[in-house]
Amino acid sequence: MARTTDGIEVEGTVIECLRNATFKVELQNGHKVLAHISGKIRKNYIKILPYDRVLVELSPYDLTRGRILYRYRT
Amino acid sequence: MNSVHFTSPMGQPAVVITQVAETQWHAVEDDRVVGRGDASRRPDGRIFLSIDAWHGAVFDQLADAMLADLPKPLYTVVDEADLDLTCDWERAGFTIRRREWEYLVPTDPRATGLGSALPPSGVTIVAVGEADESPLRELHRVIRDEVEATVGWREMPAEVLPRPGGATLLDPSKYTVAAQSDEYVGLVRVVPVRQPRIGLIAVRSGRHRRGIARALLAHVLGSLHHRGIDAAWAEVNESNGAATALFEGIGARRASSNLELVLR
Repeated sequence: MARTTDGIEVEGTVIECLRNATFKVELQNGHKVLAHISGKIRKNYIKILPYDRVLVELSPYDLTRGRILYRYRT
Repeated sequence: MNSVHFTSPMGQPAVVITQVAETQWHAVEDDRVVGRGDASRRPDGRIFLSIDAWHGAVFDQLADAMLADLPKPLYTVVDEADLDLTCDWERAGFTIRRREWEYLVPTDPRATGLGSALPPSGVTIVAVGEADESPLRELHRVIRDEVEATVGWREMPAEVLPRPGGATLLDPSKYTVAAQSDEYVGLVRVVPVRQPRIGLIAVRSGRHRRGIARALLAHVLGSLHHRGIDAAWAEVNESNGAATALFEGIGARRASSNLELVLR
């Protein structure tokens, strides 16, 4: 887990796509967070699906929430 | 580097909005980045914005700074199910310009009904990767010009917007083609990711309503089904009645939708 001034970024795996444009992501440490997708992913029409490996930035205000910054190629 | 300071309630650190690059803004609170804004110019010249913020107040501050610096019109894209983000943009003055449906398209011929969809007489299907590049590029150019002369590429899904220099045909190996009398008359591009995406399907204007698009879909969806892939994705502009009818007619279902918003 890397802590930077840009936030806490953690790798995880998407385990569920929820109805309100959020995703349940299981982090490497086993914790599960609810994550939205970042604006850049949305602008580039990158589709996030269950089992995708992703990079998540955790909210500094609530560590159960995050934002998907990057989808790794499988 | 331009900075704008915003006051916060008593006892809370102030947020500072800083333009860190020509197209990037940061919201910093207590030495921590708590929001980011980005502006990018699409190949068609339009500027699309994105803002990531953990709170609506920070979103508003980023939006204020960005909108003050950027020329209008400005655009953004949101998932229609993301009501909070849609409200954030509407608060900044953006309105809905168009809706794009994301369809989940079955590949099983029993679900699509395409098992018997043969191409019309005289038309043959050239399998993916087997089309000659030169006539394929010529067909692509003709279709691009036809679209631009009618509804325009801005009404097409963002995935198929023309690139600089007028090219959208980046990888000929992804195309399946319909051929007739030594010329190519229709094409479909399927991007072979884990859940394949039908990025573009088009038939020359003089060859519409003959079943060529259905035959192309029958071929590519059948191939995916043989490979064990049970569904593909396709994006369709809500106002594109022909594409909507084509996909819904083969059992595709709407899975989600994106909204393109504009600030004029």
